[in-house]
Amino acid sequence: MKDNIAIELKDVKKSYYLSNGEEIPVLKGIDLRIKEGEFVALMGESGGGKTTLLNIIGCLHPLSEGEYLLDGEDIGSVRDDFTLAYIRNKKMGFIFQQFNLFTRKTAIKNVALPALYAGADRQEREEKAKDLLNRVGLGDRLGHKPTELSGGQQQRVAVARALVNEPEIILADEPTGALDSKSGLEVMEIFKNFKKDGKTVVMVTHTAEVAKFADRIIFLRDGKVIDRNYKLKSNY
Amino acid sequence: MRFEIFKMAFESLFSNKTRSFLSMLGIIIGVATVIAVFAIGQAARNAVDEQFSGLSAKSIMVMGAGGRPGATASSKLSLDDVPAIKENSTYIESATGMVQGNGTVSYNSIESSVSLVGTDPDYFSVSNLDLEKGRFFDEDETKDKVAVIGSDVYSAFFEEGEEAIGVILTIAGKKIEIIGVLKESGGTLGRLSKDEAIYIPYLIANSSILGDRAQTMLALEVNNVDNVELATEEVTEILREEHGLKASAEDDFRIFDAGSMVGAAQDSAELMSTILTLVAAITLVVSGIGIMNVMFVTVAERTKEIGIAKAIGGKQADILSQFLMESVILSTIGGLIGVILGQSAIPIISNLNILAMASSFTGPLLGFSFSALVGITFGFYPALKASRLDPVDALRSE
Repeated sequence: MKDNIAIELKDVKKSYYLSNGEEIPVLKGIDLRIKEGEFVALMGESGGGKTTLLNIIGCLHPLSEGEYLLDGEDIGSVRDDFTLAYIRNKKMGFIFQQFNLFTRKTAIKNVALPALYAGADRQEREEKAKDLLNRVGLGDRLGHKPTELSGGQQQRVAVARALVNEPEIILADEPTGALDSKSGLEVMEIFKNFKKDGKTVVMVTHTAEVAKFADRIIFLRDGKVIDRNYKLKSNY
Repeated sequence: MRFEIFKMAFESLFSNKTRSFLSMLGIIIGVATVIAVFAIGQAARNAVDEQFSGLSAKSIMVMGAGGRPGATASSKLSLDDVPAIKENSTYIESATGMVQGNGTVSYNSIESSVSLVGTDPDYFSVSNLDLEKGRFFDEDETKDKVAVIGSDVYSAFFEEGEEAIGVILTIAGKKIEIIGVLKESGGTLGRLSKDEAIYIPYLIANSSILGDRAQTMLALEVNNVDNVELATEEVTEILREEHGLKASAEDDFRIFDAGSMVGAAQDSAELMSTILTLVAAITLVVSGIGIMNVMFVTVAERTKEIGIAKAIGGKQADILSQFLMESVILSTIGGLIGVILGQSAIPIISNLNILAMASSFTGPLLGFSFSALVGITFGFYPALKASRLDPVDALRSE
């Protein structure tokens, strides 16, 4: 494993503001380093700030205070939509609990969409999408719409979509949260391959069964990191 | 990429056909209205042009004011004023006079009351009248019983192609020979259609045919269009002096210049078209607001999709252009349907004699471009709002 730092957060704070101006702090000073190729799980109680942290890493949220370095470059202070969209598109692949597929589009169109935003031509997009759907075992479901697929299959489509622009980082927010345990495990098997491909993975989860696939577990509570290398209890 | 956005916008409109159609309906009606309005306006302008085609802008007409309420005396206006005007005026190039009235005309057992115009030979050139056949009467024939007939008179008394020249008509009991037939002019002379009149020498008309029933009218032509106003003043002075009117007395004649008559008629046609255009523009603006509403609903419904699009790398510009494209597609397709409907309604409506309509190029062009403009203008704000949604909030919405 290389020792380059892919993601570095320095004293990152994030607050939400209610309409009456009241401040709700969600992240209260996060320091974090994630190495290139590392598979990290974020655990912690609900409301502890896991998803907010993931969204900040995914450039979906601006941070309120602190620094965010991506491959050593300051990203936390960037507000320009063009750059942020580029990072989300090319450098990262997002996988959600609820799959978040376009329900009116076929599997292949869903997978190809990020490549469309990246400016790839039609043939290139569809070839890549087809190849990825084959790799996640859905080669025979290219023309199916999400409603015609099971939850596990939908999540595999979402995984293929996250990979289409060959991002260095995969961000997953409870990727197995909406799946039965068998489908969940199938998805996690794909996640194991990410490591082989050298991808950095940050995954929010609250189940130990899923967390154990990670190299390292970071435990959050009340907007702070309380353990940078949390050990699961031995019975898992 | 651009084509893909177009395709995506189209797919999304197509997946909601009813709503897309309903929001298009306003545009369709708006554009069809614009076209109808322009067609009505065009027809009105055509009618004005046609009505006054026989008049040159340099023409001035003088009529007696005898019948006018408040006029103190019956008018002294007569053809004797013509030489006075010719002599004393600097702006009048040619002058002619006529008397006008109705008389019974019979030929070949057909009997009909026809407008009679007694005039001198200059009249034909001043009035822009052309011959279909035969000739005009000349200076030597002012006391001869000859007539030139209008095209409608010809068709009233003769079969098509029948020889009229040399035929003797009985007009108010007098036998008069036809020496010329006029081409159709479509023009009018006050309330009288030039095509429905019989023209005879002034002296004959005045003495033996019309007598006291004659109404006198002078037709003058100004040397230059710019001098019409000056000429009007000058003729007024000459006539007042000629008629011996005191300074306190009112004019016993009225002067009309063709330019201001045409202008007034054109003005009223323009006004009508302006009002109708305004109505059509309001229709389009209202339909634009309709599109805006629909786009807002669409954005609200697809908030989650917008969030997903952003999370997977969609730029604000991508999202803006997709939603903008949707409203532009809606309004231009609506505009196109409106153009087709409007244009095909024109011949139907005018053939059924409901309203006079004539196709114009401006109507469809303006209607269509306005519809596209409406799509862009009213689609922009919802699209901008969509593109600026916070991705996390958008993803959270259901």
